Amino acid sequence: MSDLPDRIHRFRQSDGWIFGYMLFSSLVSLTASFVLSVDAIELAKNPNANLSCNINTVISCGTVGTTWQANLLGFPNAFLGLIAEPVVITIAVASLAKVKFPRGFMFAAQVVYTIGLVFAYWLFYQSMFYIHALCPWCLLVTLSTTLVFSSLTHVNIRDGNLFLPPRVQEALASALRMGLDALVVVLWLALLVAAILVTYGAAIFA
Amino acid sequence: MSKKKPSHSSGAPNRRESDSGAASRREQLRAQQAKAAREKKIRTWVTAGIVAVVAIALVGAAAWGIVRATRQQAPVAEGAATADYALTVGEADAPVTVDIYQDYMCPYCGQFERANRDDLEALVADGTAKVNFHLMNFLDSTSQGSRYSTRAANALVTVAKAEPEHVMALNAALYDNQPSEGTRGLTDDQIADLARQAGVSETVVATFADQTNAGFVNESNNAAGAAGVDSTPTIKINGQDFAGQQIYATGALRSAVEDAAGK
Repeated sequence: MSDLPDRIHRFRQSDGWIFGYMLFSSLVSLTASFVLSVDAIELAKNPNANLSCNINTVISCGTVGTTWQANLLGFPNAFLGLIAEPVVITIAVASLAKVKFPRGFMFAAQVVYTIGLVFAYWLFYQSMFYIHALCPWCLLVTLSTTLVFSSLTHVNIRDGNLFLPPRVQEALASALRMGLDALVVVLWLALLVAAILVTYGAAIFA
Repeated sequence: MSKKKPSHSSGAPNRRESDSGAASRREQLRAQQAKAAREKKIRTWVTAGIVAVVAIALVGAAAWGIVRATRQQAPVAEGAATADYALTVGEADAPVTVDIYQDYMCPYCGQFERANRDDLEALVADGTAKVNFHLMNFLDSTSQGSRYSTRAANALVTVAKAEPEHVMALNAALYDNQPSEGTRGLTDDQIADLARQAGVSETVVATFADQTNAGFVNESNNAAGAAGVDSTPTIKINGQDFAGQQIYATGALRSAVEDAAGK
């Protein structure tokens, strides 16, 4: 009965795994946001260093760092990561230490992080199809934001924190028991990689 | 965990609450077990699906790596295009070699080219110098996603491979019609028209759209970066940097080349 897939499945529903994975992803996201923030400050100090033709700073040379998309709210987007990720880190660490947060708190965290996720994907979309430049740290933010979102959503569905109608809640909990969350994340990441390869494959690998 | 009613999950028939509590609880338990069994069965398939997706991704990555590795081993020398990603114009035994690292989106490259075009043509024509064009595309990021640098450079590499005699003319035409940075640049049709005007045959022009040499351009860009070229235009005369404002002053390059040739 207790064969390996079942044990893995139970492990995946445990606090240790979910919050451990949330902690790891949010630390990655914080690191990437930090690097991007430092870059943004560098760019602000020296916006047009020797015009447009410097290969080592493709970002400052190109338009990525100085696009309106990169400063949508009037300051570098990466600052948002510096603000939000420490909250997630705190939730993850506290939860690993068996703190139980109130439903409303976790619900609010879910709402705010969902807005963050939408923003991260809007930026990803913009840089894929309008700015057209690969920015490794930005991609890392996209990836880690996705992983944090999936862990937060997982735990909030598991614990019924989302104030959903009972039928929806039961359907989602059932989906978790079927392991569909993992499938969705894996397929989603595969789709992202495929989109990048289709758009940039020739440029990266040719 | 349904509370008030006996489970009425999809698939199971919808029952009214029974009078007998024990029977109802048994019923409920059975329904729960059935549901758990169903979920476990689906989970097996989902797990298989995840394993399959990951396996496909790994196989795909491996295949891509192999294709890439084998493709990179293929020699690229053809026409005026050399194995080290230069486009060479002029006599092979010319005493002076001029290397030009350029990106078609770079305004200063255009300024350099227009200032020295006639001199370079003359130096090549009389056998004093040969010119190695090293095409770069790092300014692709400034053409709103249209990858103008790559498309323009691809056209030049294609011409260099098939009809090397038109390289200088197309190079000049691309700079005469240089778009501003930050715009989408010339369309493929406009590039094709310039090539026709430069004398390139219709069969060659027709292959521009395939972007066959975009990979060559990427490699050329990487090779230039690896060689320490960190800005464009970078000019080298017999390997020595020829830099500063003089590169935009007509005549300076010519006299430097002639000095190097001992004239």
